[in-house]
Amino acid sequence: MADYETKKTLDYKGLKCPMPIVKISQELPKVGIGDIVEVLTTDPGSLSDFPAWAKTTGNQVVETRQEPGLIKIYVKRLK
Amino acid sequence: MAATITGGAAKVATDAVAAATGTGNAAGVSAVSGASQVAHTGLALVMDGIEYFITVPMVYLSVAFLLVAIAAKLVRSFRAGPPPFQLALYPVPRHPLIASLRDTFGMPQILKIEPLFWFFLVMYHVGFLLLILGHLDILSGINLVPPESRHMLGAGAVGVMVTLPTFYFLGRRFRDANRVISTPGDYLLLLLLLFLFLFGDLMSWGNSWTASGFVMTKADFARYFDGLASFSFADPRTVLHGAHYHFVVIHVLLANLLFITLPFTKVVHAFFSLPLNLVRRQPWKES
Amino acid sequence: MEGILSPAESAALKELFEKKLNGVMRMYLDTCARCGICVESCHVYASMPEVKYTAVGRAEVVRKIFRRYFRMQGRFAPWLGEVLEFDEATLNAVYDAAFSCTGCRRCMVHCPFGIDTQQVMAIAKALLIGADREPKVLSMLADMSIAKGEGIEETRADYAQALKNLEGEVKAIWPVPEGTSAIPYEAKEADVLYVALAGSHSIVSAAAIMNAAGEKWTLSSFEAVNFATFVGDSGKAKRVAQRIIDEATRLGVKEVAVVECGTAFRYLRHMIGPQKFRVVAFVELIDRYIREDRIRLDKSRLPESVTYHDPCQIARNSGIMEEPRRILRAISDRFVELRPNREENWCCGGGGGLVAMGELDFRMKSSRVKADQLKASGAQIVTTACENCHSQLSDLNEHYGLGMRVEFLSHLVAKALVLPGERFRR
Repeated sequence: MADYETKKTLDYKGLKCPMPIVKISQELPKVGIGDIVEVLTTDPGSLSDFPAWAKTTGNQVVETRQEPGLIKIYVKRLK
Repeated sequence: MAATITGGAAKVATDAVAAATGTGNAAGVSAVSGASQVAHTGLALVMDGIEYFITVPMVYLSVAFLLVAIAAKLVRSFRAGPPPFQLALYPVPRHPLIASLRDTFGMPQILKIEPLFWFFLVMYHVGFLLLILGHLDILSGINLVPPESRHMLGAGAVGVMVTLPTFYFLGRRFRDANRVISTPGDYLLLLLLLFLFLFGDLMSWGNSWTASGFVMTKADFARYFDGLASFSFADPRTVLHGAHYHFVVIHVLLANLLFITLPFTKVVHAFFSLPLNLVRRQPWKES
Repeated sequence: MEGILSPAESAALKELFEKKLNGVMRMYLDTCARCGICVESCHVYASMPEVKYTAVGRAEVVRKIFRRYFRMQGRFAPWLGEVLEFDEATLNAVYDAAFSCTGCRRCMVHCPFGIDTQQVMAIAKALLIGADREPKVLSMLADMSIAKGEGIEETRADYAQALKNLEGEVKAIWPVPEGTSAIPYEAKEADVLYVALAGSHSIVSAAAIMNAAGEKWTLSSFEAVNFATFVGDSGKAKRVAQRIIDEATRLGVKEVAVVECGTAFRYLRHMIGPQKFRVVAFVELIDRYIREDRIRLDKSRLPESVTYHDPCQIARNSGIMEEPRRILRAISDRFVELRPNREENWCCGGGGGLVAMGELDFRMKSSRVKADQLKASGAQIVTTACENCHSQLSDLNEHYGLGMRVEFLSHLVAKALVLPGERFRR
């Protein structure tokens, strides 16, 4: 586990398409540049969606973690 | 044959009037104004020229323009290529072509949603077809109605079939949401049609439903139409007599205006309705 | 004057407009008689009667631009057709027209000429993209999909792991033999490529049903939904769909089964041209399994009365109407129809990208007629076969206090699956 502080935890478990991406695009600008937020989700697709979204918006997925029934995605605001 | 000739009429003119009115109008013509037969000078001459232009060259020009413009429009639309993907609606009818014809000529959607409107639309469109037929019937080569009859095709009823719905369509445009979606062009087109029809009615109703009749008869108009059909370029004034001639000229002018503007108006739905209904009913082959 | 676009900007928009003028579009723009028959067709107008919320009201915005730039009257008699120039006010009207329309095409059912308002709105959307005024959230989602296609190799392992973690949920519904995968991924011998969405709810039930039917299937790496179609960007839409076409071709599947998502299904079924595979809706697949007796369903598990909302893109725009009804009759004795239904069904009010865009206030106000229709059915459960409809119906349920349950058809089917040897009621 990397040692970084998360500014916020966002619970996106069980949301329908395309709400996780819509919500992160609204929530991430609310934290400071360089800050990291933790996203909790159950969507397998998020593991590809979040990195792709980060790439197009100029942000960064720093890490993803998985356990049965829960996916954690760490997103860093870069701009 | 009572024909009161006012003014100094030339013998040729008198003969022509006699010939024209004597053939078909059984009830007789009570009064024919021969004022226009006076040797013309100044403004009257200009007026004659304008009326000749409207009734002969302009008719050719308008009809030719109509045909060319419609053809150009059809070619342009059909050559612009297909849509990027199929646009059919489901369920697909068993016979898409028949369903499209039904949509086009039966307008079942309108019957279901606004039956009164549908009733007037059917009356109008059938009337319009009969109207075209009635005008063709004036040509001496086609005689659905005997040439000597004082009636045109439908004995005035065809006029009712188009005039009454046009009043309804115009009134409907002022109502509810229709008023908001209507453009000045929509009102003008209906007004153009309405006046065109009313001047036509004047002639057909006059002959069929009044004791004295309209001054000119089917046989008289036949001479005018035959002249047009044979490209004689003869002045219809020589076969259509009397002061009421000007009403005929106005009728022809409005018809010309309709022919010229028609390709630019929504009247093109006459040509596009079937192809568009086919787009709706006939899916492309399953990919 | 304020709000007037520069000649170069106007010319660029005119060019975008012209690109959309195929033969059918030209006829759509010239033919409308403004008869007003479509006025009552739109759920938005039926819920909040303003003429700008009618099919003809929306299309006229585009037609007025058409008359200005492509018709003689634009030069000689602009007042005849009340033409519109490209300016601030026009572009605002274009936006209101395009994004108050869900593209449901109910109006097309009623138009005596069959004019397709969704197609006319495609011009509006193209203009908005050209003017950089399209809803950014929709472009963002489309861009995300394209980037995902490009970077899939980087995340494939994580995705595969997530599917492994999900297998337990599938097995809880329908057990699979030891050593076989409950969610096959990248399976070479598969007949069916199932294209889901990001969420596990779009995978688990479907996987259980296909496993129960003994289907040789594999899961796609990509989400089926195509947000580029909502934003009206046909170039991006092609690229989003191409990911799935390439995947299906690479895996050599016979069929691509599309998750319960209207726009995804219509796009893949009708808008990608002939391919080596067939495209089916997942409900078609379920219906086939039932008819071929490959799955058995227990009616006793669904005691509530249930109705079905026809998603526009699946029903009137793609022809899947009887399959969901057959499925519901196989799992319930208490199926009731909504009135109207099938091609006449009211749109849920969430299509055309509105759910993704948020727009909760507009969505709720513009779909009052849908809420009334649901209430009138008296059903306890409303099922549907579209993710977008499901979201909107759930919002309506809450907003209007309908007290119903909103369910995916596939979820109800998965709950009714009868295990071998289990007693059940047909």
